[in-house]
This record gives sequence, C-alpha cells and structure tokens, in this order.
Amino acid sequence: MDQNRGNWYLLTGLILGLLMGIVYSWVISPVSQVDTHPSLLRTDYKDIYRLLISRAYQANNNLPRAEARLNLIGDDEPALALAAQAQRFLAEGGDHEMAVILANLSAALQSREAAENPPVQPTGTAAATDSPKNTEENGENNPDNPATSTQELVSSQTPPPTESPPFILQDSSPICDPTLGESLIQIVATNSSGDGIPGVAIQISLGTDPKDIFYTGLKPELGLGYADFSAEPGLTYQVDILDSGLIISDIEVPTCQNESDESYWGSWEIYITHPN
Amino acid sequence: MLLLGLGLGLLYGWVINPVSYQDTTLDTLRIDYKTDYTLMVAEVYHQSNDLDWVMNRLTLLKNESPLHTIEESLKFASQAEYTLPDMFLLRDLHNALKENN
Repeated sequence: MDQNRGNWYLLTGLILGLLMGIVYSWVISPVSQVDTHPSLLRTDYKDIYRLLISRAYQANNNLPRAEARLNLIGDDEPALALAAQAQRFLAEGGDHEMAVILANLSAALQSREAAENPPVQPTGTAAATDSPKNTEENGENNPDNPATSTQELVSSQTPPPTESPPFILQDSSPICDPTLGESLIQIVATNSSGDGIPGVAIQISLGTDPKDIFYTGLKPELGLGYADFSAEPGLTYQVDILDSGLIISDIEVPTCQNESDESYWGSWEIYITHPN
Repeated sequence: MLLLGLGLGLLYGWVINPVSYQDTTLDTLRIDYKTDYTLMVAEVYHQSNDLDWVMNRLTLLKNESPLHTIEESLKFASQAEYTLPDMFLLRDLHNALKENN
C-alpha cells in the first residue's frame, strides 16, 4: 500500500515538473524573438515593407530586385497583394501618390507576366513565383550566405510599366447587365493590339468636381486594362483620363428593364485605346 | 522527479515545440533583411533627398539611432560584399545622416 502511494508521488512530481517547465519555456521565458524572416511580419509591417519595395522600385526601376524582395514577404501572388494594398490605401483615404507607386509595381509585374505567358494567362496573374533560383537569390535556405539577395540581383533597367498617353475614345455607352449587381462605370484601356494597359490613372468627377482617382489593373482578374467605379443613379459623372487630355462627359446610370419588364439600374462602359 | 519533469518540460518548450512567432515587427528581422531594408531606404533617399522620411522609416528598426542602423548595415554590407553601387548608396545616406546630426 505504502509502496503504491510512493510511486504515485513520483508521477505527480514528474507531471508537476513537466507543467512548470512548459509554463516557464512558453510563457515566462519563451524563445527570444530575433532573426526573423519578413514573411512573419505583422500585416501592417508587411504593408510598410511592400510600400518600401515599391518606392525603391520607383527609384531604381529594377524589377528583378523588387520581385525578389516581394518574394520574401511570402504573398501567394505579389502583384495582387500590391494591387489590393493600393485599393485599401485609396479606400482609407490614403495618399494617392503612394497608391500609384504600389499600382505601378503591380502593373509592372503583371505586364511582364502577360508578356511572358499571353496565351495561358491573358488576364495576367502575378509574376512572382518562388522559383528555386529566386529562393537562392533571396538568401532563403542559405543562412551561411544571407546577403546574396542583394549582391546577386541584376541591375537591369526595365521599361516603364505603362504606355504613355494620349488615349483615343473608342466607345462610351450605357449598358444593361443585370449580372453586375451594382451600377458601375467600367473603363477598359487597351493598346493597338487589344492588350489591356494597367496603371492608367482615371479621375472621376461629379460635374466638374473631382471625386476620386482610380487605376486600371487593380482588378487583374477582370483584365489588365480594366477599372471600375460604383456610380449612383441620378448623378452626372465625368471621366478624365489623366495626363492624356481625354475627357468623357455626361455619364449617367441608365434605367434598364429585365425580361419580366422590371426596372433596374444599369452601368456605363468606356473603351479607350492607345494608338501605338 | 520534480527536477526531471522540469527538465523535460523545458526541453519540450524550448527545443521540441518552442513558441512560434507570427506578427513580428521590423526590429526583429535578421541582419541581412535589416540591411536590405536599409538599402531600400537608401535607394529612395538617393531619389528623394527626404531625410525626414528616412528617419521615420529607420526608426521602425528601433536601433539606438538611425545613424547606428546605417552603420550596422554598412558593416554587414561590407562583410557580405555588396556591390559597389549599393555600398555607395548606403554610404551616401550615412554621410547625410551624419551631417544632419
């Protein structure tokens, strides 16, 4: 009886010690938080990191370097992450210039991807992939030589991400499409080959009162040259393709009728093209 | 037995299954990533000459001072044999911060 009781005490001691050890190592003195990787950064710091990469790209125009840096953050599709951040930035009333900088890098990645794989991915998904070469360049999995990320990146000069204006108006007309679900002013910018052009800045005004600025290419799943704006029925809008002098006026949400003769608000479609 | 349990608990908590970190901050980045971050700041500064912005960005690394951050980055970049243009960018930013101090 006494012998059995002694064994239980031993087990209790072991369990108590185990619990104390785990509490100490997890709560009181956990493994210190140093030498971390950019992919572990908190979301707001990732935003700061992405913006810094975009600004550095704006300064050096080095797309491979920007791409290698973006790969460190670990986004599945870096171009989409940049576009989403630009949209968030604008939605939160952030600096337009910063949104443009983010959008430009996103557009550059998408343009390159579209150029590399036009038949497979016509809408241009993100270019950045975690290829073994990139991984090696980033210094990931290579702790003995972590600086290779910077020193081996090529200083190649890449062309500007967007084609220069002016644009020509191809079509501007009301459309009735009940599948859209809301009234939109949709803009599609293409080049002479019919390929979408990302990064085109568009200003929307109520009458002549500037209301918002947005960019093509921020919804790459709908096409590189696509952009839209939620319009309210009863208002008259003006669309200004910035830096091109092209202004499209008198845009209003049309009234449409479905097959059951029920009315609903339609949308407006604008097609612009770059002649070169 | 208590000590044995304690040892096993520490082994489990520190080695076998340590606390895994998400949501880290910029100051915890490994030195090579910190140096690349500093290099990006230097690249932007080379174009903008905006020292206030530089100070703001480098402060996020929570070193003693932005100047100290640049000095650490220069040291690492030199050891890791960064390219000359990158070294020049870091050096230029270092000089600008030094003059500003």
